This record gives sequence, structure tokens and C-alpha cells, in this order.
Amino acid sequence: MVGSDDNGNGGSRDGEIARVRTIIVAGQSSQRTQEVLNALSGFTNVIWPKSLESALEQTRSADAGCLVIADDLREEPIDEFLQEARELHRNLPIFVITDPDDVAEAVSAMRHGATAVIEIPPSYSTLRDEVSRALQ
Amino acid sequence: MKDLPQTVYVVDDDDAVRNSLKLLLKSAGIAAETAASAQEFLSSYDVVQPGCLVLDVRMPGMSGLEMQHELNLRGAMIPVIFITGHGDIPMAVEAMQHGAFDFLQKPFRDQELLDRVQRALARDAETRTRLRHTDRIRERLASLSPREREVLDLVTQGKANKMVAGDLGVSQRTVEIHRAHVMQKMEAGSLAELVRMMMSVAP
Repeated sequence: MVGSDDNGNGGSRDGEIARVRTIIVAGQSSQRTQEVLNALSGFTNVIWPKSLESALEQTRSADAGCLVIADDLREEPIDEFLQEARELHRNLPIFVITDPDDVAEAVSAMRHGATAVIEIPPSYSTLRDEVSRALQ
Repeated sequence: MKDLPQTVYVVDDDDAVRNSLKLLLKSAGIAAETAASAQEFLSSYDVVQPGCLVLDVRMPGMSGLEMQHELNLRGAMIPVIFITGHGDIPMAVEAMQHGAFDFLQKPFRDQELLDRVQRALARDAETRTRLRHTDRIRERLASLSPREREVLDLVTQGKANKMVAGDLGVSQRTVEIHRAHVMQKMEAGSLAELVRMMMSVAP
């Protein structure tokens, strides 16, 4: 029996070891990315590529459960990236973290394939809930 | 069948906003109608009417988001552009997750709204064209006999006539005749076209 944490990671079913799906957090070495990683510290198998390109590569190779894009990568063309990621993975949950009140950015991200846009601070719990749902 | 003309519906409880948007749209040559509440709009809207909807989020009674939900329940495909003076990210995300075409914060430039309306109208026209096409294919499918449908399913899986004959327990000649009828009834010029048709109506 493999242990399961509160977030649905791990666990077993019918004697088989359930795969632990990867949470990919794309972000540079910034305070914001660190806050996102801290918010997800209760999850196992979180990986942290430091560019969108690398994150996309990880979605191809890893057993990706979801992708979280920290806001400090927005200098890279996020909308194009979202479209590309969505074409590659129709059902992969993709969460974009953004500053509060940047509604235009949020709408654009949603139009280009984000599953949800989460403002941080203050929505750490929203992020944890969304990721938990994505892994189920 | 001649297409109905496209209309932009403006639903906002603010008289000044309704009137100015109607004027703006008419000045751009776009037919526009207005409603002061979600209830007023819903009581007269027919889902077959092409166009798009410019919808205020916050209104007394039924809100814009609630009205979007109601339209979804009715199977309306009309693109919805939300407008609001008090938007926030959770509200915008909810609207987009439920299929909104766009979400615009007031105040906005006239051209900004017109651009989005034009895109929404283009999307609506594309969607309706695609649906008409798939409806026609479904009608043709319904005209096939059960045996012709079996032949269709097998040939579009890539099976040769000989294999289809084996699967169905009939002669190859019989399959050829059914296949010819299928191509004729489906108005398909080639097997590739037939496969594309089936893919376009696949669930």
C-alpha cells in the first residue's frame, strides 16, 4: 500500500501503485514563484522549470497533472505559449498566476487556453484547490 | 435558405449606455437592439437569431452571469461580450469558463468595442455555417438504410470491400452496390471526403 496525501497524490487502487502526476510550476527565481511553490508545498512531485520552453518540454515528457505558470514569465509570449500548450494537450489543466486586478491579462489568458487565472496574493487556497481538482 | 441578418443585442440597465452603444453600432452599419434587463431580453430572444450579445455583468434582478447560464441551458450559441465597470479576475474567469467570447471593462474606447463586436459576429457566422454543414451530413446519414450504414462504418474504418463482405457475411458485389449507394446518398466524391464527413459529426 502506498500512502496518499490529502491532495490525492499517490495512493493505490486494486493493488496497483497509482502514478503520482507531476505539477509543473514554470517560473523564474523570484519571490512570486517562491510563494507559489510554498503554496504547493503539501503536494509531492512538484517540478520547477525556469522557462516556458522548458515547461512545455516537461509537459511532453513528464506525467503532467497540471501546469502552473507564475506571473514572472510574462515577458515571454504567454498567449502564444498557451495556444501551443493547448494544441499539444487538449485536457491539461493550465493555471496562470497573475497580479490582482489585471483583468485584461486574465481574459487574454483564458481566451488562449488557460483553465483558470488565479490572482496571488491572496488566493493561495484557490490555487491549492484548483491543483487538487486537476490531479483527481 | 437565406441567412437571417446579424443583430447585436445590448443588454444593460443603464439607459445612457444602451443608447450610446446602439448609436455607436448603427454608425458602424451594424443592426442593434437593446433590452434594459436580462428578463426583457430572454422573453423575446430566439436562439436561431444570428448575431452577438453585449451584456452588462451587474444588473438588478438577473445578473449578466446568470443570464449567460440561462442562455447556455437554452443551447444558445450567441457569442457574449461582457461589459462591466467593476470587473475582477474571478468574475472574468467565471464568465470565460462558461463560454464568454470576451470581457471588457468600462470605460472602453468605441473602436475597442467595435473590433470585438466584429470578431464576435465573425465567430457566430463561422459557428452557424459549421453547424449547417454538420446538420446536412446528419440528414444524409439518416437517409441511409441500416445495411448501408454498416457498410459506411466499415469502409470509413479503412476496410476494403472484401473485408467488409467478410464481416457482414455478404458477397463483395453486394458491398460494392451498397457502397455506391452510400457515396451517392452522402454526396461524397471520394472515400477521403466520406471520412472527413464522419469525423465532422463524430461526438
